[in-house]
Amino acid sequence: MVHKKRTKKEIAQGALASLLTVLILTFYLWHITENTQLGYAIGSCENELKSLQEGVQKLEAKKAALLSLERVERIAREELNLSEPRPDQVIYEDFERMP
Amino acid sequence: MNFASDLYQKRTSKRTRILALVLALWVFGIFFRLIDLQVFRHARLRGQVLKQNQDITKILPTRGTIYDRNGKILARSIPVPSVFFSPPAEEPAELEMQTIRKVEKILGLGAKDLDRIKARLQKKSSFTWIKRKTEAPSAEQIKALGLNGIGSLDEPKRFYPQGTLAAHVLGGVDIDDKGLSGIELAYDEILRGKEGESLILRDVKRRGYYSEVLKAPENGKDITLTIDETIQYISEKELEKAVVENKAHWGTVIISQPATGEILAMASVPTFNPNAYPPPSPQDDINRAIRYNFEPGSTFKIVTASAALENRRVRLSDLFDCSEGLIDVAGSPIRDHQKFGLLTFPEVVIHSSNVGMIQVGQRIGQDALWRTVQAFGFGRKTGIDLPAEESGILPNWGKRTLPALSIGYEISVTALQILQAMNIIANRGALVPPRIVRAVQGSPLNPSRNTGAAAPAISEKTAEQLIQILERVVVEGTGQSAWTSGYAIAGKTGTTQKYDPELKAYSSAKHIASFVGFAPIEKPMISMIVVLDEPQKAQHYGGQVAAPVFRDIAGRVLRYTHVWPQKNLEKAVVAAKLWRDGQR
Repeated sequence: MVHKKRTKKEIAQGALASLLTVLILTFYLWHITENTQLGYAIGSCENELKSLQEGVQKLEAKKAALLSLERVERIAREELNLSEPRPDQVIYEDFERMP
Repeated sequence: MNFASDLYQKRTSKRTRILALVLALWVFGIFFRLIDLQVFRHARLRGQVLKQNQDITKILPTRGTIYDRNGKILARSIPVPSVFFSPPAEEPAELEMQTIRKVEKILGLGAKDLDRIKARLQKKSSFTWIKRKTEAPSAEQIKALGLNGIGSLDEPKRFYPQGTLAAHVLGGVDIDDKGLSGIELAYDEILRGKEGESLILRDVKRRGYYSEVLKAPENGKDITLTIDETIQYISEKELEKAVVENKAHWGTVIISQPATGEILAMASVPTFNPNAYPPPSPQDDINRAIRYNFEPGSTFKIVTASAALENRRVRLSDLFDCSEGLIDVAGSPIRDHQKFGLLTFPEVVIHSSNVGMIQVGQRIGQDALWRTVQAFGFGRKTGIDLPAEESGILPNWGKRTLPALSIGYEISVTALQILQAMNIIANRGALVPPRIVRAVQGSPLNPSRNTGAAAPAISEKTAEQLIQILERVVVEGTGQSAWTSGYAIAGKTGTTQKYDPELKAYSSAKHIASFVGFAPIEKPMISMIVVLDEPQKAQHYGGQVAAPVFRDIAGRVLRYTHVWPQKNLEKAVVAAKLWRDGQR
């Protein structure tokens, strides 16, 4: 059996092919890993977004409750000692003549 | 050297071939295994993997928010924690109950709750709600305990930030946020939306690394009501005060914008807090404005008067003899609250004379009065966007029906129907049906209703004549307590004796007091009806009990809507002007 001696060029081509294969496989693995990591990040962001949106909804509802007329009137009367003006205390300006 | 070298090469070559063979077998082994896994066992393995690491979860739609006409939140769904138990291992129910009892106090569980949970655990349920829609701090406290099998999930809960405000209009929902009454029921399908589905892929630690919406949820649509939060608040406060002061059984106030039919406020007392729905007493849940039929009494005289003028059966100068103070109707007398003498047609309305109005009714006749009653929409629902509206009850004609109907008896109506009748007069004859929903998701609902192209129930001339008479009711007649300084108001009082089924007769002790009117006369901004059931104090007439409520609400509401009082509209001045006009 005669063993054919490989030329330097053939060895270089073989090495290059192997290197390319390794690079492609490495890139593929990196891509998969990166995709998964991005998936985690997106999932986390979506949860955060949902949570923030819910937070906004809750705050708006809380604001409405704090500004409810029942509460505002109670604070005005009981804490600030305000009362409604008597009819003679109210002056209506002539709006039509105002510039 | 050559021999040794050849021998070395042969040995190397042999080892290389063996190594190559082993590697090739290894590669083929992997290759065939891959084919086995990816082709032959693909479907089964995929199913197993997906079962392990994927969740298909329901995406709950957010129930639409309900706003008032100015964009103030009246009802909104917000996420709150619901605490559940999912047994980590199969254990006897008694042992599992020991875990549950550790959260009993935090969640305020009662004997009923514990019995329900125990029954579920005895059935070996894999998931049991301990308490749904609880407070966030309680859920945090339980989480801190780190109890095995106990967790919490967020669920939307309906929240009414204004508490009892507009409770009967808004209605309430059940534990699953399904509408049970009011707008919540009438617009449940629109508010609820539709569930969606999502696929979530999870790793071994159950962290989601991929999610895909399989079916997008359709969130419920927002609804904007015609109700004005401030006007509603004023109405409720004044009504509550009147019901307490007069020791009435119940009361209702409706305020509308005559030109559009938009309801600005609809209040009923007793009321309830929709945050704790259903109310303890079912009576509190009744929206008296649309769900209670009653005989209207003298407020109905606006219909009789309209029929008389429209059909030209009376002239304004016609005189009616009311000097006896009573009139015989099919063998039994109907009385006035005082003897009036001779009254002109306007004076019959102004002083709300039963004797005079029965004579007017007899001139009108059954057919003409019946036509007007129907033209005003009595006997059928107004079509307001609220559930369980009553249509009223029309009379079965008998000997007494014509005189009785002329003064508002033998017919049952809702407060809203009487307000609709007054709106016809305020709109100079046009019937504009009432409505309470302004827009769905920002799009106006039935915009055609805003055009003002409404069916005429009576002529403009009849309406104008009646308005002048109704203004005098407030200036010099039974409705003087409704006079609001600086504003031209038209209105009519009503006092109904209630029928007592035990006595089988009208009771002299039980009344319904009412007042219906609108202001300002020239360009009506608001119309309002006030009804109080069985005021217990000595005063029980509509003019004494309901008209002052109208005055107190109307003054505040008109100023709030920037309708300022006019200086020249003092009562004496208006009375003199009306007297002078009457002389012409």
